[in-house]
Amino acid sequence: MKDNSLLKISHLDVGYGAIQVLWDVNLELKEKEVVCVIGANGAGKSTLLKNIVGIIPSSKGEIFYSGNNITKMASPERIKMGLGFAPEGRHLFFGLTVEDNLLMGAFQRKYDKRVKEDLDLVYSLFKVLKGYRKKLAGNLSGGEQQMCAIGRALMSHPTLLIIDELSLGLAPVIVDDLIEIIDQLRKERGISILLVEQDVKVALDIADRGYVLEAGVVSIHDTTDKLAKNEHIKTAYLGI
Amino acid sequence: MSNNKKVNIFLLIIAVVLFIFLPRFLSGYMVRVITTIFMYAVIAQGMNIMSGYMGYLPFGNAMFFGIGAYVTAIGMSKGLPFLVVVPLAAITAILFSILLGLPVLRLRGHYFAIATIGMSAAILSVVKNATEITGGAMGTTLPIIDKDPSIVYNYFYLAMFGLMVITTLSLYFIIKSRFGFGIRSIKANEEAAISMGINTTYHKVVAWAISALFTSIAGALYAYWMSFIAPDEVFDVMIAVNTVVIMLIGGAGSILGPIIGAFIIELFAEVAWSAFLEYHLAALGIIIIIIVFFVPKGVSGTIADFIKRKKIRARKRVSI
Repeated sequence: MKDNSLLKISHLDVGYGAIQVLWDVNLELKEKEVVCVIGANGAGKSTLLKNIVGIIPSSKGEIFYSGNNITKMASPERIKMGLGFAPEGRHLFFGLTVEDNLLMGAFQRKYDKRVKEDLDLVYSLFKVLKGYRKKLAGNLSGGEQQMCAIGRALMSHPTLLIIDELSLGLAPVIVDDLIEIIDQLRKERGISILLVEQDVKVALDIADRGYVLEAGVVSIHDTTDKLAKNEHIKTAYLGI
Repeated sequence: MSNNKKVNIFLLIIAVVLFIFLPRFLSGYMVRVITTIFMYAVIAQGMNIMSGYMGYLPFGNAMFFGIGAYVTAIGMSKGLPFLVVVPLAAITAILFSILLGLPVLRLRGHYFAIATIGMSAAILSVVKNATEITGGAMGTTLPIIDKDPSIVYNYFYLAMFGLMVITTLSLYFIIKSRFGFGIRSIKANEEAAISMGINTTYHKVVAWAISALFTSIAGALYAYWMSFIAPDEVFDVMIAVNTVVIMLIGGAGSILGPIIGAFIIELFAEVAWSAFLEYHLAALGIIIIIIVFFVPKGVSGTIADFIKRKKIRARKRVSI
């Protein structure tokens, strides 16, 4: 195993009961790297992320996180180790205020000065949220909800931020903002990012490397520059 | 805001003092009615932590009431004093809640509610058939306190009232704690709670254990108070049905809601009993339908909304 790999998945099989979704998936993510997973609906992208966070168990294979084998760990321990997860569809706590939602993300930590610092960081990244601190999360617009979800994931002080569907249902202007923030997180905070993205153009734009999932199997993986030139990707996902 | 809080605490203390001296001015019958109200308020708080705050409806919670009552009856028939038997009853109920909770709390929504009803029924039939230990379907008796009945009723009134106050205060502090934050997040969105690294299984099982603790002590007091219990009575599903209605009418997910609900429903049931002896259940049912239609947030929720609206209106007037 190479020293600078933060996340390393080898020969992973995941399924729900009798239905197997992922077949022999291998994935690697280096420190300070942005990696995207692209694929059609039902290819197993979300399943892969949920397994990495520990919500769905795997039936075979191993996951290493910064050198530690986390295959057998439950999700609270994985979050403690430095994973941050923004689930698909945001899954905010609608009945709670924006600030409480963000603090929920720090549930694993002791509420001390560093949590306060992270809260300030989230507010400086997403300035809209600061104005809505005391507003119920259910009253936010779609884009604001996504910001809140990413902010909440950042509150666990992750070294690896995992985002499921960054741009789904958002206006292009907001997507541009989010892309900029992701860039900022990587450059200024040194956070690695693993994201699933249905908009392949956006995905290839943000990420350094990409994995293409097709029917639960990694069919291609390469740098995003090369993926953008790949004929198969062009016809199947970019429609060129 | 803090001034407001002080006023609230002051009012609550006055209410507590009033209730302590209330029995002096009431008939023995009314004292018993109000004791029942306190009892239902305690059981409703047990329902409140699970359903009002965590979003899991434990329809079979009557089983903890029955377990509390039966452990008390069996323990006291063996000659143990009441104060020794109560912790035993509570521990038994907590053990049951953990053993049953670990598998059943994986179910969500209606499935969980139905599974708990099934368990309640299973325990009921065990109690009915274990005649040598429990006295079977005929029921069993407990020692009677050898004192004037009015003193005894007073004693149970105060005990039940104390239990209600302790239960409500504990719930208040639990909800304000980090643990309370966790269980509220489960109601808000369990998926997200898992994604945030919250150990949902732990939170759910502990919440149900707390619920079982409240309910079983109410059952223990009830058994000693009645000095006779029968399985069909203490494991009655109607206990849970009543409690759910109380919680909904008072306001699920509010601290004082279950107490308000218990007073409304039980006092109304008293009126319904005396006015429509034959149709009182029908009358009660109709009132419940009306309340659910027009006061869906429960009494405490509606009052809170009313106050909020008034404040907003006042603020608007100022800004104009």
